[in-house]
Amino acid sequence: MNRLIKKIASLGLVSVLVLSAAGCGQSNGQSKNKSQNSGQSKEQSQAEVSKEFSPKYSADTEYKISVVGTYSNFESLESEFERFYEHYPKGEIEYTYLDDYSNTIDQALAGQEPPDIYVVQPWMYGDERYDSLFDGAEVLSDPELEIDLDCIRSSFRWDMGEGKILTLPVFATSYGMLVNMDIFEKEGLEVPKTFEELKDTCDKLKAAGYDSPVMGSNTSTTPGIGYSFAYPMFAKTIKDDRSVEDDLNNLEPPAGEALRTSLTRLKEFVDNGCIDIDKCTAEIEDDYNAVIMRFFEGDVPMMLCSGDVVSGTKKRESKSEAFEANPFEYDFYVAPSGDEGGYYMDSISLLFCVNKNSESLDMTNEFIRFLANEQELGLMAQEKRLITPTKDYSLDEVYASLADFPEDRTVNFRDIEIMDTAVKQFRAAAYGVINGEMTVDEAVENYGTISTD
Amino acid sequence: MKKRFIIIINILIVGLILAITLKYANDRATESNRASIASFEKMTTTTEQIVANYLEDEQHLCDIWANYINRSAEAGTPMSVEEAISYIRKAKISPEISGHLIFIDDESMAGISTTASSTDSSDYSVNYSHINIFENLEISNVNGVVNLTRAYTNPHNGVQSIGFLNNVKVLDDETGKMRNGLIIRVVPVSRLEHKLVFLKGEYENVEISLIDWDGDYMIHGKSLKNSNFFEYFKSYNPMSAQEYNTVVEKIHTDIGSMHIRNSKDEDSVIAYAPLSNLDYWFLVAYIPAKELMANRSIDWILLGILSFGLLALLHFNLAILLKYNRQLSVTAEAANQANEAKSYFLSTMSHDIRTPMNAIIGMNEMILRNSKDKEILNYSENIRAAGNTLLGIINDILDFSKIEAGKMEIINVEYNFASLLNDLVNMVQRKADEKGLTFKLDVDRNIPLVLQGDEIRIKQVITNILSNAVKYTKEGEVVFSISGSKCQDEPDYVNLQVRVKDTGVGIKKEDLDRLFGAFERIDEKRNRNIEGTGLGMAIAQSFLNMMGSRMQVESEYGVGSVFSFELKQKVVKWEPLGEFDTAVQRFLSEREIYQVQFAAPKARILVVDDNEINLKVFVSLLSETKMQIDTADSGDACIALFKRNFYDVIFLDHMMPDKDGIETIREMKACTDTPNQKTPVICLTANAISGMRETYTNAGFDDYLTKPIDTNKLETMLLTYLPSDMVMKVEDLMEEEKNESEAVIEKNGAEKVQSILVLSEDVGFLKSIRNRLSGKYNVVLVKSEEQALAYLQKQEAIEQIDEERREHE
Repeated sequence: MNRLIKKIASLGLVSVLVLSAAGCGQSNGQSKNKSQNSGQSKEQSQAEVSKEFSPKYSADTEYKISVVGTYSNFESLESEFERFYEHYPKGEIEYTYLDDYSNTIDQALAGQEPPDIYVVQPWMYGDERYDSLFDGAEVLSDPELEIDLDCIRSSFRWDMGEGKILTLPVFATSYGMLVNMDIFEKEGLEVPKTFEELKDTCDKLKAAGYDSPVMGSNTSTTPGIGYSFAYPMFAKTIKDDRSVEDDLNNLEPPAGEALRTSLTRLKEFVDNGCIDIDKCTAEIEDDYNAVIMRFFEGDVPMMLCSGDVVSGTKKRESKSEAFEANPFEYDFYVAPSGDEGGYYMDSISLLFCVNKNSESLDMTNEFIRFLANEQELGLMAQEKRLITPTKDYSLDEVYASLADFPEDRTVNFRDIEIMDTAVKQFRAAAYGVINGEMTVDEAVENYGTISTD
Repeated sequence: MKKRFIIIINILIVGLILAITLKYANDRATESNRASIASFEKMTTTTEQIVANYLEDEQHLCDIWANYINRSAEAGTPMSVEEAISYIRKAKISPEISGHLIFIDDESMAGISTTASSTDSSDYSVNYSHINIFENLEISNVNGVVNLTRAYTNPHNGVQSIGFLNNVKVLDDETGKMRNGLIIRVVPVSRLEHKLVFLKGEYENVEISLIDWDGDYMIHGKSLKNSNFFEYFKSYNPMSAQEYNTVVEKIHTDIGSMHIRNSKDEDSVIAYAPLSNLDYWFLVAYIPAKELMANRSIDWILLGILSFGLLALLHFNLAILLKYNRQLSVTAEAANQANEAKSYFLSTMSHDIRTPMNAIIGMNEMILRNSKDKEILNYSENIRAAGNTLLGIINDILDFSKIEAGKMEIINVEYNFASLLNDLVNMVQRKADEKGLTFKLDVDRNIPLVLQGDEIRIKQVITNILSNAVKYTKEGEVVFSISGSKCQDEPDYVNLQVRVKDTGVGIKKEDLDRLFGAFERIDEKRNRNIEGTGLGMAIAQSFLNMMGSRMQVESEYGVGSVFSFELKQKVVKWEPLGEFDTAVQRFLSEREIYQVQFAAPKARILVVDDNEINLKVFVSLLSETKMQIDTADSGDACIALFKRNFYDVIFLDHMMPDKDGIETIREMKACTDTPNQKTPVICLTANAISGMRETYTNAGFDDYLTKPIDTNKLETMLLTYLPSDMVMKVEDLMEEEKNESEAVIEKNGAEKVQSILVLSEDVGFLKSIRNRLSGKYNVVLVKSEEQALAYLQKQEAIEQIDEERREHE
């Protein structure tokens, strides 16, 4: 009986204390919703992963690092700052968006407050205006820095000669289409892998009431219909025969023949009724926000777009009333433009360089060492919903289809070297063909002089 | 109260104290937090004023530049672009700050800087055409107000800066025309950030941000992610659009603070204030909530100490409680034993007193029946009254156990008030006389003669008071006053006022409260030689309470006491009592002479009692019924007769030596060799304590009758159990007897039958004797000397009764 009494008494008191403590706790803050909890647990697991990182320097090291870039908002990077603070809490890393980046980054590097880390893009290499960006970059492949660049896909390890790697790829991108998986499941269809399957699938979807089984932005920009669908095929053509590369870059009209195959397939794609160009024009006003919001309406089986567009989906899920009301599963696939399958443009979206003149060079390199990790880069890409530059695609299911993509139908960013002017010619030609402004023959013949305005 | 309830109550009290303490601590902490937040808000407001002043100063310096340049233009000597820039270059002091003069009239947004490009020391040109900072600004008329840009990248050196604007008019060197230009005082954001470092005050982790109307940062706190504060807020603080708009509206219009969740889902506080004199700029100070609420931990320490103390107190209380419980268990055990002893005492006393009382009252009853002498009847009546009173007292003592058990009931019957008074007076007069006390009686002659109430209880109450008055009065007098008055509200009722005054020892004031306690004896030391159980007054008060009254006591120690009470009684006959002596005499004379209820000469009953007198009384009381009554003085004798003779009813005493009534009846019930298997057996007992009926019924008795025996009850019971064909009216019997008597006289004249008592242990011998002599003699067979003596005694008693009856006749 004595034990029982003591137990009851103790339990009672403990209950009272716990309840009271809980009551106190309530006054401290607001309740957390489910998504926040899941976010928190995700951060915890991420923190566990980052514990694998072994800091070189004392945790008491004070530092200040500035990162500048082209994104007005770079929350995925800021999340990395937070994870880095767990190892080095006495510092501050700040990301700053530079206005008119392409014109001001050079000034900034030479200015009073040079950044420690700055963004470069592949097209900058070779342009003398940006030579200083590469000249002033730390050699990240220096063994002393112990930066694990092997986690990067080999095609992205950008060797500038003599084994020097100056850039850390942060995000990759591609071109293809968002697929509403719920529609395919509902209609009992598989996502098409070849062009024949695409036509067949589109016929079935049209029969099921989807007027335009494929939609996209009717623009001549990179996320536009023509570029997203046909450019990877065009790039594969160049990769297979790089002899035309110079002529294309020099806008030589005969080189326009290289466009024929991809433009013909594009025309066939439109003519076959897979896509209703007029409907796209009427319902999708721009090549980014409108593409996403239209896709979230839930009645578009396939939406042509770029990886950059996909990166905007996460934040817009909550902004779409239709998606909030009827959420669905969606994934990214390459457009099945080829007879054997689609072509995967494995492009670099963003790279970091370290300013070798940085006042906090050691800690800046330490941060890059922390970042150069499959998990960290994967988490960044997942948060930004862009394609990871590492070998592991598993962190973001949206891009799971790209894992183990056949190498023979993959075009890496260094497989071809097409100048921006040539690309613009292709975009304009593709736009003209799908809108009936020119035939494929005309486009091929007029290469080099097609208006890109 | 059970232990667990005490424990639960203890826990609840401890819990309550903790809850109150927690609430108090919480309230204090909340108050402290409020004060901290108020202080934080104050710091924010101060910082805002300093920042606003700083920005105003910067704008003022920009205005000075513009004014100087514009005054030259107004004076007719406009400055060229080069001259203006040269002037600014000289006017500005800080090398970090630069001045840009750009043309806005041709929307080229290009111009000259005071400093060279960071990439080309010879290049002073500047171009804002790709810097999107003028969208929301009215740049053509900005004179006189603080008009700064958002934080932007200085196109000349790539440094994040803010620009203070004013319009100027300068001369175009090439065209010689006046042109509208925009002076921009370009201040690095870092310069402002450095100033803010010194404005953090006591807060180590405060982060100060400046945001514009849209939430875009001019200065960005480390913990505030995103490029836009509102976007950041929305990302980590999910809420409806309406709630979100309310928050934005608050920040736009109010000075205050709010709790938010940061990117790590931690509680944080932001304080906000619009920058004075600057449209669309707001200062947001961020701090982790824990920094503002750090002193809350002190409350937890106090709480811990309090909890520990209360736990210790609880355990101490439990230990004490357990100790007391153990003591209570011992006491309860002792109380149980005492209670059992009391029950045993009551049972024994009941039996031991009732047995002689049976003889006294029974014999006296015979006197009352048979005597014609008024003096003897008067004496006998006194005996009856005293005996009945004594019996009543015994009953009341027994009934005290009923009172304690809550089983006592008031039984209202009609009674003669004169008789009641007579009984009381007779009882007390004798006692008073014995002590040489004067007993005075003061009776209201108008009291109705016949009332309805519980006569026995009333008599017992008054008897107790009078007995006490006599007992505790050594000399002087006892005055018994009783008066009556009609009830105003109930016409059928009378209020009796009873008052007993004595000149006795009196009662101390401090003892008055104990007077009505059971087994309480007041002033024990002084009254040691006075007999009493200490129950009398407790019983009296209990009875009065049950009858809706209450006893009052007035007493002066050493002088005397007055006991009084009022009692409401229903009136049956309003005939007044009159003079009490007359009334008593009249009652006595009108007292009904006993009349037997029935006769049953053919009935044969057996009565068993170890007390010979009781047997004699029993036989005498039923003599007029003419029944054949056999007696037995032990259980064994009973069983022998039970086996041999048939009886219509058997009365069996309970408390007998050797084999008591219960053992006897068990043996009788087990016996098959008897003609009495269906004969009712009635328990005759002096044990009249509550609960005995069940005991006797369970033992196998058909009924029970208490001693002293009430003749009426006995006869009524016999009428219940005797076969109806054996019962006849007394008149019929007398007629039959008369006829028989005449026949007997005739027969006796010729032959007188003699009785022969034969004693032998040999049953065969006895039977042969009976066969041989039964025709000529009345043969009585016995197996032992005891049986022979019993028979002879019985015959003597019968002969005596017959003789008395003859004398009576």
